[in-house]
Amino acid sequence: MTPTEGFHRHGTDTYIANFSETEREVLVNLVQQVIEILAERHDHAHDDPLAAMVGITTHDSPPDDEVLLRLLPNAYQDGVDAAEFRRYTEATLRDKKRAHAMSIRMLLLSASDGDVALDFENAQAWLGGLNDVRLALGVRLKVDQNSHEELELLAPDDPMRAVYAVYTWLGWLQETLVEALMDEATS
Amino acid sequence: MGKLKPQPTVSEETAAEISAIFSSDRPWVVIVWDDPINLMTYVTYVFITVFGFTKEKATELMLQVHNEGKALVAKGAREEMERYVQRLHEYGLWATIAREDQI
Repeated sequence: MTPTEGFHRHGTDTYIANFSETEREVLVNLVQQVIEILAERHDHAHDDPLAAMVGITTHDSPPDDEVLLRLLPNAYQDGVDAAEFRRYTEATLRDKKRAHAMSIRMLLLSASDGDVALDFENAQAWLGGLNDVRLALGVRLKVDQNSHEELELLAPDDPMRAVYAVYTWLGWLQETLVEALMDEATS
Repeated sequence: MGKLKPQPTVSEETAAEISAIFSSDRPWVVIVWDDPINLMTYVTYVFITVFGFTKEKATELMLQVHNEGKALVAKGAREEMERYVQRLHEYGLWATIAREDQI
């Protein structure tokens, strides 16, 4: 199988791409890890059924883990306001992010011959889901401290070198989907 | 037929402006912060999708985020700003809400 050429617009509301077996495995594995790290943040004390029903979480402090904090950031710089907002919205945000990752996972697992076709809604889920993977990898690669030049020069045996390769590939893939969507948004 | 009464024409924009004058919730803003991970085209696309900006306006704001470290992208009632930030977080942008007089 040849490597993917990224997403292309097909008709008015469909975005198609073809993925090799390896690419599918890599992507499924990555979104699976996003699903798992989000699950770590699951409410262990979700004992109040009414609170659970209306989406109120028991969390009002930000996650300690850097990746989780980037996926579920504070909405206010002020700690009190941030905690209040988090209590009422974090569960919804987590559910959305999980749904985005699940969309990628399910469509890749059910893709026959590696063909994936997204409608507008799925395309939004994929954009958000691919971005979450990039955020997670970017935090671990410390792209805020390391320049692209530095990351390009990682030693071949440095495990981060392969991570950086996946990170740049995901960026390229996401960009092809953005461009396919922009065609429509501006025409 | 008598004289025509003057009819105030109230556009949607004017109406929003007027209701904002009477709202104690007016001075809240959404700030988007620069981060090295999100792609420039992606941020532009998210601005178009979430706020309905033109491509030009979205690009201008994205460049402001990129060059100046942050940009104020929306202003209005607190609840509305919170909904925007929630959506921006769904897309993975780094956004916060603040009182306009406290930034």
